[in-house]
Amino acid sequence: MDAQKVDMFIMSNSKFFESHQVNQIRERLLAIDDSKWAMISTVQLKDPTTSLIVSILAGSLGIDRFMIGDTGLGVGKLLTCGGLGIWAIIDWFMIQNATREKNMQKIQQFLY
Amino acid sequence: MAFSRNKLYSIMIIACIAGYIWLYFGLKHEYSEDKPIEVCLIKHFTNIACPSCGSTRSILSLTEGNFIEALSINPMGFLIAIIMFLSPLWIIADITAKRNTLFIFYQKTETYLKRPQLAIPLVLMVIINWIWNITKGL
Repeated sequence: MDAQKVDMFIMSNSKFFESHQVNQIRERLLAIDDSKWAMISTVQLKDPTTSLIVSILAGSLGIDRFMIGDTGLGVGKLLTCGGLGIWAIIDWFMIQNATREKNMQKIQQFLY
Repeated sequence: MAFSRNKLYSIMIIACIAGYIWLYFGLKHEYSEDKPIEVCLIKHFTNIACPSCGSTRSILSLTEGNFIEALSINPMGFLIAIIMFLSPLWIIADITAKRNTLFIFYQKTETYLKRPQLAIPLVLMVIINWIWNITKGL
């Protein structure tokens, strides 16, 4: 793909991915066919900051986990009052990385 | 999905162990008539019960065989009790047989739960249970 397009994509979307993955995504994007650009540029990525806010406000109900698509863990958190309050606090620090990982999974299906 | 079979199983086993330790302390507190410890963040900050407040008490009354009392405290206790009882057995069976039936089951339920026709009624049930909890004053 065109280097200019790829750099534009990386610039506007790098906050959605973990820093060590950005380079890998960039190289992969340069290698793939131009026809996938439409799909890749419109893929819906979740903002880690939003999930952090949701986690702080409604983490005990598991809504942050539901939001990023970890339904099973969300149910677990909801049933146990946010893991007796401990898991809820741990997730304040984990949820951003979990969101970035989910974004990576989502874009991976277009990259390969 | 997000994680592998082993990660899911270790999370579930840790959660179950924590749950059993918590239950043990709950039982001890019940006999010594102390004030129970409250860990629920929502209840601490807002003084309003959360949807799953009272599930410890519900499971404790289940262990004594009071099914109706358990249901009236919090119906979610039944769900937690079933999960806590079944999942360790299922995980042990899976590990000894080197299969991943629970992992497949987990992934299937996850996709089922994401369907709106199932998710919306369940969310409504949780909200109704929440309102009931608040009116009961748990």
